Amino acid sequence: MERAANISLAAWPSALVTNRARVSPRIFAAMLVGSAAFSVALASWLPLQVSIATVFLFAGPHNWFELRYFLMRLPARFGRSRNFFAVAFAGIFFLTAAYLAMPALYYLNLWSGANWPDAIATWNTLLLLWLGALVVLRGKQNSRRDWFWALPVVFMLCALNWLAPQLFSLAIVYAHPLVALWFLERHLRRTRPQWLRTYHRCLILLPLLVVGMIWQLSRTSSLADDNGLFWRITQHAGADLLPRVSSHMLVSLHVFLEMLHYGVWIIALPLIGATGAVWKVRTIPLARRRGGFPGLIAAVLVFGLFVVALLWFGFSVNYPAMRDVYFAVAIAHVLAEAPFLLRMI
Amino acid sequence: MKRTLILSAAICALLTAAVFAFGDIARPKPTPAPGKTVLYTGLTILPDAKATEARLQISRETLKSIQAALANSGADESMTQRVMHSSTRTIMAGVFMFLAVSFGGVWLARSGQRRSHKTIAAALLIAFVFGTATVIVRANAGPPGYVRWASLSQALKDGKATDGGLDIEIVPGDEYMRLIIPIRKTPKPGEE
Repeated sequence: MERAANISLAAWPSALVTNRARVSPRIFAAMLVGSAAFSVALASWLPLQVSIATVFLFAGPHNWFELRYFLMRLPARFGRSRNFFAVAFAGIFFLTAAYLAMPALYYLNLWSGANWPDAIATWNTLLLLWLGALVVLRGKQNSRRDWFWALPVVFMLCALNWLAPQLFSLAIVYAHPLVALWFLERHLRRTRPQWLRTYHRCLILLPLLVVGMIWQLSRTSSLADDNGLFWRITQHAGADLLPRVSSHMLVSLHVFLEMLHYGVWIIALPLIGATGAVWKVRTIPLARRRGGFPGLIAAVLVFGLFVVALLWFGFSVNYPAMRDVYFAVAIAHVLAEAPFLLRMI
Repeated sequence: MKRTLILSAAICALLTAAVFAFGDIARPKPTPAPGKTVLYTGLTILPDAKATEARLQISRETLKSIQAALANSGADESMTQRVMHSSTRTIMAGVFMFLAVSFGGVWLARSGQRRSHKTIAAALLIAFVFGTATVIVRANAGPPGYVRWASLSQALKDGKATDGGLDIEIVPGDEYMRLIIPIRKTPKPGEE
């Protein structure tokens, strides 16, 4: 009963409007396939230009929507989840600070950058151990779950990470956009179950599109990264780590996955009501509960909008530098996705 | 207690003596730094009866590739080379693999009997699939590089060109360039 009392139904307002879904699964499928095909075409055709435009336009807003979503999913009272959220928030804070400290120490000449792969491997290990701890804690919240298997998996991933730390980090860069698709799946399961089968079928298309892109673009010549910005984009996609792979293919693939990621957070999840009515602070449990903090939540959201505007301004003034800053700070939202996704499984 | 103290002191003295004894051993001769392969490309050896000097012709694109490969030589190492060059990473990877296998075993032991059997069967199946795939892939690997150079001496005698693969290796020092051709001695009939 206690567990049942901890379930926040307020976080699932859209469950009440399940029957109000006016869009048929066919139209939903057509929208998904059309969006994916359009993204593939754009990313393959003009990878560098599309990368610049998508990050400029959507990086900030998608972070704001994620913040809105996380606030929405935060329970009004932690109850039995207190330890889980304590570990989650401590991990997000510590790992983000450590991630930002590495380049900061380097640019302040306090660290020569020697043993950079070892530093990366250590950070990745801490990340994996944190994820393992979250999985175990989440598993303990339900006696029917035995998630002990997560530990050997985490240790095996740690071992692979130490064999090739930089490639492991690159794998995170490519895997992170796919997490949004998992969020969408969990929400459809609860709010639009009639769309779920269609969604799963559409997901089969994803590996086919990726293989198609690799097949088509692997023989293309690498992109000209003769200016600082283009060089940054190709490096971010892994051109330095995979010198024998066409950077055109790498950048296209990364841009395609990023476009899917932005599409899910900015369009798909708000459309199915996962983030609640964007302008209504009262849809957030922390603001609605007795003795809640509606003013604080509203202030956080308004401040978030201010940061988005600031990001756009920064991109307009010095795009390459702002892009570097953004991708360093954005690690926080990558980390924050893990506990909230686990809460939905 | 007294006996333990004496024994400990004797062991310490022995270890200290061993350090001094090793300190007197002559330093080993420094081994020359090994060369580093930065690029794989192709080479054509062409005898020319009219030429007065040996010439090494490098295309502009290949030269660019060599320069780029030199700049990225750290990233261009294979995973095995990178792991071999870092004992810390090898140790850490080994420790975590040990932990993974240990915890995996504990998990299997903790799981129900029926489920364990299914998991073991699945693990064996995956191992079999990977093993078979590896055998197939290795079996389809191309012939070793020296095969293409086997006819070099005959081709030189006949004045013909010979093509083959080439690793560009950067070695320390300022000596002349060297071309090392992998020639295997083929045993003549009746020769062991």
